[in-house]
Amino acid sequence: MKLFWLETYKTFSRWRTYISFGFIALIVIMTEVVMKLSADEILYRMMRSFQKDFLIFGNVLNGWFITAFIMNSLHIHIPFFITLVAGDIVSSEATAGTMRLLLIRPPSRSKIITAKYLTTLFYTTGLVIFLALICITLGLLLFGHGDLMMNYQSKLRIVFIPEAEVPLRMLLAFTAAVWSMTVVASLAFLFSTLAENSIGPIIGTMAVVIVFLVLGNFPFDFFRMLSPYLFTTYMIFWQRFLDDPIPWQEIARSALILGLHNIGLFSIAFVVFTRKDIKS
Amino acid sequence: MQDLSHKEVVLRTVGLSKRFGKRWAAKDLNIEVHRGDVFCFLGPNGAGKSTTIRMILTLLMPTAGSIEIFGINLYKNRHAVLSQVCGIVEKPDFYLYLSAYKNLEILGSMTRSVRKEEIMEVLDVVGLKSRAFEKVKTFSHGMKQRLGIAQALLTEPELIILDEPTAGLDPQGMKEVRGLIKKLASEKEMTIFLSSHLLSEVELVATRMAVINRGELIAQGSVSDLLDKEPVEYSIQVSPLDSAIELLRKLPWVEVLSAEDGKIELRVEPGHASELNRFLVSNHIEVLSFYPHRTLEDFFLKITEGTSEI
Repeated sequence: MKLFWLETYKTFSRWRTYISFGFIALIVIMTEVVMKLSADEILYRMMRSFQKDFLIFGNVLNGWFITAFIMNSLHIHIPFFITLVAGDIVSSEATAGTMRLLLIRPPSRSKIITAKYLTTLFYTTGLVIFLALICITLGLLLFGHGDLMMNYQSKLRIVFIPEAEVPLRMLLAFTAAVWSMTVVASLAFLFSTLAENSIGPIIGTMAVVIVFLVLGNFPFDFFRMLSPYLFTTYMIFWQRFLDDPIPWQEIARSALILGLHNIGLFSIAFVVFTRKDIKS
Repeated sequence: MQDLSHKEVVLRTVGLSKRFGKRWAAKDLNIEVHRGDVFCFLGPNGAGKSTTIRMILTLLMPTAGSIEIFGINLYKNRHAVLSQVCGIVEKPDFYLYLSAYKNLEILGSMTRSVRKEEIMEVLDVVGLKSRAFEKVKTFSHGMKQRLGIAQALLTEPELIILDEPTAGLDPQGMKEVRGLIKKLASEKEMTIFLSSHLLSEVELVATRMAVINRGELIAQGSVSDLLDKEPVEYSIQVSPLDSAIELLRKLPWVEVLSAEDGKIELRVEPGHASELNRFLVSNHIEVLSFYPHRTLEDFFLKITEGTSEI
């Protein structure tokens, strides 16, 4: 536990750690302000496909809707911000030469790597919670509240979630988002144990995430067959908590697959780190 | 020769070897460091000093052999052993974005809880107390080196391992670090294992030494013992010169090499230095100067057969 707090202290003593928080705040504030200024246009675009068939009352463009919209839009940005720390946490010690100082201390390598991994997960969780808080708080302040309308265009469905249920659904959705992002963190962490500079793990992780996302979204049979084997396919399982009814089985399966990825990636990082020779 | 049989062995390596690919960086090293030693590990660049130190500090896994510290197998009882050992490997690198104090607090607390007074005390010992709360990125190389020694001292280890502790320092900095090493050994009774390729430094601080070349141990013992095994060349100024030369040529353990400008160059078998002086004085030869050419550098160059890159 002591090692975990030491790692956390070091991580949060670096200004680099706060870049992600700063950019997320900037993106969310800019998006929500622009959306507020363009509210009529957005509402028109949202409704035009089904306004002939339905009569919709109430505040549709509310803070909850805006939060879900931003979450949908940031599935590339958040992984990038996560890799800034996850890809750096081990490799930066090698670059700076401080790895030598750490590893000649009594705590074993297994304890040190576990503490670093827990710190990575802590940072990832903190980043997603920060995103949730800023999205929801600003969204509710600027757009007010109401029922959450989710338009699943690919399934030709519109789902309305009563406002009373939305906070719990959002809590579950953000918890799932944290779980999804831990896989990106684990991948960046693994690359960080393999590299001796921070750029490689950051670029490497983003390359994997982007390539997997692209492959998973090609509308061809071959890529559809490939899709179940790409972890990015399961990373959007947080959206299922905003569906009705909630597909628990699908959620459990996605969560399990992502969890197995976490275990696998951390196990490889653990073995690499505990056995490697420190030559730098 | 100094009797070391009664001295506790603090560090012992047995058949310690490390191979990188096909190259042996260290091969079959059997080193013994005794309690209270300032033990100097000497060798040219690339001889295997850092590799050996990295194995002793668990940064590299040996290919073969074992390491015992305080009589305990290092790799089987890593935590217990390393609680009593500290060191610097190559250059002292710190978290540049943290203060000297915070660096020591983090590194020290990985061994045990450290109090603020303890941190300030070691910073005082190395002369950095006034800079305790400044970020390390503002420190010069010499200050970082001293901070490195401070972190090694913080948890009061019994054995300190220093890899090239004066590397990159100016003459004043080197003198300060040497003084600190001597002080630690004499006042705090710590055992110090240090590597160096600076022969002058070794002569000034070491009590015992080992010489490594191309990964193999080629000499080990006290500095004086190692040097006394070889004939030593002297330069002497005497009066009257001719009588002295005549007398010296009669001695079987002296070889007169040259005599010019009132100075005689001669080679003396080991252990006869004081006898030579007595002999000349008792034969009414006035000895004006008596200068040995015996240096660690000669010894080192001889046993490393010119492979040194120093």
